[in-house]
Parts: sequence; C-alpha cells; structure tokens
Amino acid sequence: MKKSKLSRRITWRVIGIMSFFNVLIIGAILWFVFEVSLRNSDMRGQYVVDGIEGKIESLLWAVHVGAANNRDEIERNMESPEQVFDALEREITANQFMGCFAAFEPDYFKGQGRWFEAYVYQADSARYERQQIGSSSHDYFNGPWYQKGLSLERHGLGYLTVPYFDNSVDSAIYCSYVLPIVDREGRKVGVYGVDLEYLWLNEVIGEVEKIVKREFLDDEESLQDRDGTINFSVQIIDDKGNRILGSDSLDINILKAEQEEVFGNLGMKDLKGTPYYVNFKPIPFTDWTVAVIQHRDLVFAWGGVLAVVILFCMGIGCLVIFFFTTRSIRSATKPLGFLSESAQEVAKGNFDTPLPTFKHNDEVAQLRDSFGNMQESLVKYIEELKDTTAQKATIERDLRIASDIQMGMLPTMPPKSGSIDIYASLTPAKDVGGDLFDFYSRDEKLFFCIGDVSGKGVPASLFMAVTRSIFRTVSAHESMPERIVTTMNKTIADMNKTHMFVTLFVGVLDLPSGRLYYCNAGHDAPLLIGADSGARFLACQSPSAGVSELPCDNNIPVGFRPQWQYSLQEAQITTGTTIFLFTDGLTEAMDADKAQFQMERVNNVAAQALAQQQQEPRQLINLMTEAVHQFVGDAEQSDDLTMMAVQYIRQQRDVKMQKSIKLTNDTQEVPRLNAFVEEVCQAVGFDELVTTQVKVAVEEAVVNVMKYAYPTGHRGDVTIEAAANDVHLKFTITDSGKLFDPTVLPVVDTSLSAKERKIGGLGIHIMRQNMDSINYERMDNLNVLTLRKTINNNQ
Amino acid sequence: MKTTIQEKDGNMVAILEGSLDTAAAPETEKAMSPLNDVEDKDVIIDCTNLEYVSSAGLRIFLGILQKVEEKGRHVYLKGINDKVRGILTITGFINIFEFK
Repeated sequence: MKKSKLSRRITWRVIGIMSFFNVLIIGAILWFVFEVSLRNSDMRGQYVVDGIEGKIESLLWAVHVGAANNRDEIERNMESPEQVFDALEREITANQFMGCFAAFEPDYFKGQGRWFEAYVYQADSARYERQQIGSSSHDYFNGPWYQKGLSLERHGLGYLTVPYFDNSVDSAIYCSYVLPIVDREGRKVGVYGVDLEYLWLNEVIGEVEKIVKREFLDDEESLQDRDGTINFSVQIIDDKGNRILGSDSLDINILKAEQEEVFGNLGMKDLKGTPYYVNFKPIPFTDWTVAVIQHRDLVFAWGGVLAVVILFCMGIGCLVIFFFTTRSIRSATKPLGFLSESAQEVAKGNFDTPLPTFKHNDEVAQLRDSFGNMQESLVKYIEELKDTTAQKATIERDLRIASDIQMGMLPTMPPKSGSIDIYASLTPAKDVGGDLFDFYSRDEKLFFCIGDVSGKGVPASLFMAVTRSIFRTVSAHESMPERIVTTMNKTIADMNKTHMFVTLFVGVLDLPSGRLYYCNAGHDAPLLIGADSGARFLACQSPSAGVSELPCDNNIPVGFRPQWQYSLQEAQITTGTTIFLFTDGLTEAMDADKAQFQMERVNNVAAQALAQQQQEPRQLINLMTEAVHQFVGDAEQSDDLTMMAVQYIRQQRDVKMQKSIKLTNDTQEVPRLNAFVEEVCQAVGFDELVTTQVKVAVEEAVVNVMKYAYPTGHRGDVTIEAAANDVHLKFTITDSGKLFDPTVLPVVDTSLSAKERKIGGLGIHIMRQNMDSINYERMDNLNVLTLRKTINNNQ
Repeated sequence: MKTTIQEKDGNMVAILEGSLDTAAAPETEKAMSPLNDVEDKDVIIDCTNLEYVSSAGLRIFLGILQKVEEKGRHVYLKGINDKVRGILTITGFINIFEFK
C-alpha cells in the first residue's frame, strides 16, 4: 500500500508545517491578547488613578487657596490671641471649613503660657466655637503636622496630614492642611491648618469606584468576588505604605515592596507574588500615593475569552483543513497508485497492459505518457533483441559447425606404421582459424604440408579450406614439391581478390630412401631433431646439440605473384630424425606482458626432449604444448597454434633374396621378363593368382619403359631387380631414359564404356591395383620405379 | 601363343592358346583381324586355353569389341580362367564383355 504512505506522508508533512505555524500564530495572538489586556487595564488603572488624583488635587487646590488666604490674614492679625481667634472665625465662615487652627511656637504670646493653639470649629450648622487647645497634654510641638508645617516654605504649597483621630473636641478622623505662619521679620512662628473630614475623602474614593464599575465592568463582574477576592480596588497610602483611604479587605502590605521602587512612577506594575496589578500616582500637597489595584482575572478577563474563542476557531479550522487536505492529497496521489499498478503489470511481462487515463494533464499524466513511450520502446527493443539473439545463436552454431568441419578436414593421426610416426595438433585462436596442415601417403611417399593464412577467424578459415583442397588436388598429379607449390600459387593468386596470402611449407619424403624434397614459401623453417648435424646439410645452424634448422629458401608466400617460380630443395633424412614443423603461433605466443615465446625457447624444449629421448612426435608435441601453456599462463591465445612432427625410421629388413635381369627396350623380350617374374614369385611362395597379378603389373611397367623411355629407334636398357624381405617382394625397374613418372598419370575411370575409354591410362591402373605400392623416384638421371607386393597374406 | 579362327554354329570363333603378353600381342592382333570384318555374326573368343593376358591383349579385345558393336553384334568371351577373370575384374573389362 505504498500509495497511501505517500499521501499520508504528504498529509502529515502539510499538517505538521501548518500546525507549527498555527502554534506560532496562536502564540503571537495570545501574546498580543495578553499585551492588549495589560495595556487596556493599564489605561483603565491610569485613568482611574489620574481621575482620583485630579479630583483630590483640585480639591486640595481649593483648600490651599482658602487656607493660604486664611494664613495671610492670621499673619496680619497676630498681635494678640483675640486677634487670631477673630481672624480664624472670620475665615472659617467665609470658606465654610469644618475647622481651622493656628498653633504658635512656645511662649509666643505672653501670658498664654508655653502652648497656644487657637482652634475654631463648626459646632453645628450655625455656630462656631473657639478653643485654645494647646496644653501639656496636647503637646503639639512634636506632632508630625507641626513639624512638617514649620518645615514648609512660606510661599510654597502646604501639606495634608495623614488622617488622625482627634478627640479634643469630638471623636472624628481628620486630615489637616497646614501652612507655616511667618512674622514680619520672616521668622516662622507657627503653623496654620485647616481640617478636612476624612470620611468625605472616602466618599470620593467610593464614587470613583462606582464610576469605574459602571464604565469598565460588566454587571456580572464586581469589585469583589463572593469568596472575598478583591478584583478592583482604589487605595490611598502614605509614604510608609500605610493605608490612608480604601477598602480594608485588601491587604495593603502587597503594595509595600512595589511602592519602594516605583513611588512616583507611572505605569501599571505587576505585583510579584500576588495576582494583582497596580497603578500608582502621587498626590501633590501630600506624601500620599493613590493606587489602583486590579486582579489578574479582571485584567485578562476579556483576553482569556478572546483567546479561547480564537483557539476554538483555529482548532475547528485546522480540523477542517486537515480533513480536506487529506482528501485532496489522497485523491491527487491516487493516480500514482493506478500508474504504479499498471507499471507492475508491465514489469511482470504483460507488455500490452493498458495504462490508466487521467482527468488532468498534470505531471502524473506526463509520467504516464512517458511510461507509455517506454513501454512501446521496450516491446520494440525486446523484439529486436530476440532477433539479434537468434541471429547470434545461429552464427555461434554455424561457427561451431564450421569449427567441426575445419577440424574434420584435418587428417586423423595414424598410428605409427612403417617408416613413419606422425603427430600434429592445431589450436585455433577463435572458433575457426587460418592455420593448416595436411599429410598423406601415396606411392611410398609421404606428402605433407603446413601453412598459415594471413589473419584468423572466419575469413582465414575459408582461405585455409581452399588452400588445403588445392594441395590435395595438385599433389595428386605432381610429386615434386616445387611444382606443387608453383601450381598452387598460380591457382590461388588467380582467385585471390581479397589479397590474402598463405605461408606454406610442402615436403615429399621418399620413404624407402629417406630422401626429402621440399619447398618453402615464406614459412618458418622446420627443425630437425636427432639428426646427424654437419656434413649432410648445406648450411647447418646448430643452436643446440642434435637440434638443427632445415635450411630453407624463403621464396614468397603463396597467393601474391601468380608467375613466381618456387625453388626445390633436397635433404637426406637419417633414420630416427624427427622433422618438427610449426606456425608462428608457436614462436609468437604471448604472455600477459606481451612477451613472446620466441625461437630460442622452442630450440630449448626440442633439445630437452632429445636429451630425454622424448623426440617421438606425440611426446615432442606434448612437451612443446606444455611449455607454451606455462609461458602464456592466463593470457588469451593471440594466434592459431599449429605443430606437426614427422619421425622417420628407415625400414631395414633382411633381404632374403635378390635377383636381377637386364633387358633391352624391345617388347619381344617380354616372355623373358615374365619367366623371371614367375621364378621370383614362386621363390617367394606366391600362388598362381597372385603371380599372374604381379606378372601383369610388372609387364605393364616394363613395357611402358620400353615404349616411351627412349627416343624411337634408340636402343636403351631396362633393368629389373627383384628383392624380398620378410614383408614384401619388390621389383625395381630402372632405366636411363627421359624423365617419366607413371604415377602421375590420371587414374582410369573403369566405369566408362569401351567407346569412351582411353586405353592409355589403363596401365597405371593395373599396376596400382595389382601391386600394394608403387613408387617412382628420379635419381641420378635414372627413372626408378619400384613395385611392391606384400608377402604374408599372399602365400 | 597360338591363334585359330573358325566359323562355328553361325559365329566367328577365335581360339586362343597360350600367354597373350605384349610380345605376342602384335602377332595375335594380326591373326584376329578377320574378326573385325565380320558381318551378321557374333564373335566368340575362346579363352579356354588362354593362360595369361596382359594389357596389350586387352587392348586387342577392346578393339574387336568396338568394331563388332558398331555393327550391332555381340562379342562373347568363353571359358576364361581365374587369372584372366582377375585381370578383367581389376580393369573393369568384366562389365563390358559378355561371357559364355
């Protein structure tokens, strides 16, 4: 269910980011609400504080003006106590004060004693009373109001005392507004004061609170909760933090700490450790401060509600967004899921799977289109690949077959027999190669060749096949290697359009005599292993004892120049010698460092084989193969590797009988010949039938010589030698006439009718058929024809 | 080598006796030449006493065969021994002659 993971992932990521920002926004809003609430309450507090302070201040100004006038009047009428009293009474009536007084310094008025405080008060609505209240029990000199009053500047503001309980006239609480009295000389001589009733100030406060309640609070809210918690309160405190006015449900001590710090400062402060906020304002004319206290709940009442509403709305909003986002994302990613399923089908191998269609032409649809293109390409490429693979398989199969054909063309290794032990190996570098070797026996001669077509692989292998078949065809009717090579060259050069060429070595070894005739066409010179080095060869290189190189003319490779005449060379091969032939795949075999095997190593292995008496062809080639493999190691084979070894063991058999007869070239001598042949055959033990066969063959051979060897009319000799060992009886027919090789005449086709038969070719056919082998040699200007008949099964 | 020509039962018969080798060939050929001129008769070569024949002899037989066949008649070899048979077989002549 991968698709749902994607949509979930996206959804959660979107939600996560949104939530993060939501939290930030909410935080900001809450902070904002918090600040606004504070600001709001601050303003409210300030407003109230300002209001109260203003009201009191204006009140006190009025008082001050009246009091100051009063005091000035007193100063003008201070001659006697009566004057003072009169002045006081005059003023109080005018100003309608509750009471006023003038207290003088000690012993100011003579005859009055130490203390003199003139006090006039309103006894009731119409009447004022006078009283001197200074006495030892009312020692006013140390009273704070007196001290304070004296310290004031004559022309400055007065001072409103803290409420005090005065029971000198009646029991009530008063505040007094005092001013200094100064005489004409400028000396402070007393204190004038006006009484203000405390309760009246309290009323002011109460009024203010009501206003506040009316203007700022709901009907639901009140200044004080049911459980006694004060929500809103106005207090007036003195400089010591004691309450002067205000509801005493509030613990005034909470203001003390703050007051120390902020006395005189404006602005709402948080009372630490309490749930209250306070606005202070000092009241002039006094040491008082008015404080408006607001409970936290009051401050944040609205804010809290607002916050909750906002949070609720945002919560709802988030849920809605979450819901729609999830749906939207899921539906957007659904196409991916469908596409993925289709792709899975295609991957299974159902290339025809139709791809889903989509409403919108967005990236998913584009992906689908791309995938569709890939699908088509895939189908096409797979078809092409099938074709290519089938072709490749065909080619490989054909190559294998070609390799088999090529290997099949090579002669099988015969077991050691007669004079010859021969072994060869060919390893192409690729499936098929350009190296060739061939050998076969005909007429007691071993025809062999080794060659190397330029290049390797299929082209070289075709050329190799052609070369080999031409060798067989040409050597069937040419016995001398230089003629074989020259004819091959002409034939191949005429059809050589691709300019390939073959290096070739052709040898014809006469088995009875050990005489080697050879022709080299640009090929590596073979080695002679185990030969008597020295005298027999023309120029012998002997790198190691018993190992020498057969001297070769280089000529040119076959296939170049159609008119080239190749040279004939001869050598005598002593018995036991192994002729070792090879292609340059041996000397140029490369190891991983591209170093070559080289001729030196070949010589060394050959010498080693000879030393170990292992120069028999199979052993020798195995040793050489081993040495090359060790040298090359894991490196890839770079060229076709071909080796052939021919060991010659001259057959020496005990000659049991030897007879000869010499005739002239006159066919009338034939009866003599036949009598000779009969005699020899009987001596060997041939029966009549075999004897007849031999007679016919020998007669045929000798008659040929008589008729054709010498020019007409010219008398010549023909010698017939008969020799027998325990294997066969041989007749050697020798003449000194012109070169005539009967073995190269075409063999007669005995299936032709009489009319078509050419009688000339019959003779060689008879010879071959009746005898086990025929062998022609031109030696020392003599034609030497040898016919052999095996003895053992013919007796 | 002895050659005798006879007419017998409406056929020309050549009786050969001895060894027909190359030396005897010219003489025998001459003796048998009448067979070439035969018309309306088959030729029988009686080889009962023919000991030996070499390729020279076969050439003679062949010449006669060609001439006689041109005239639409047959040549028969009669009484060949094993040795002669062997030679005829090897050369394939055994397929082109008729025998009695």
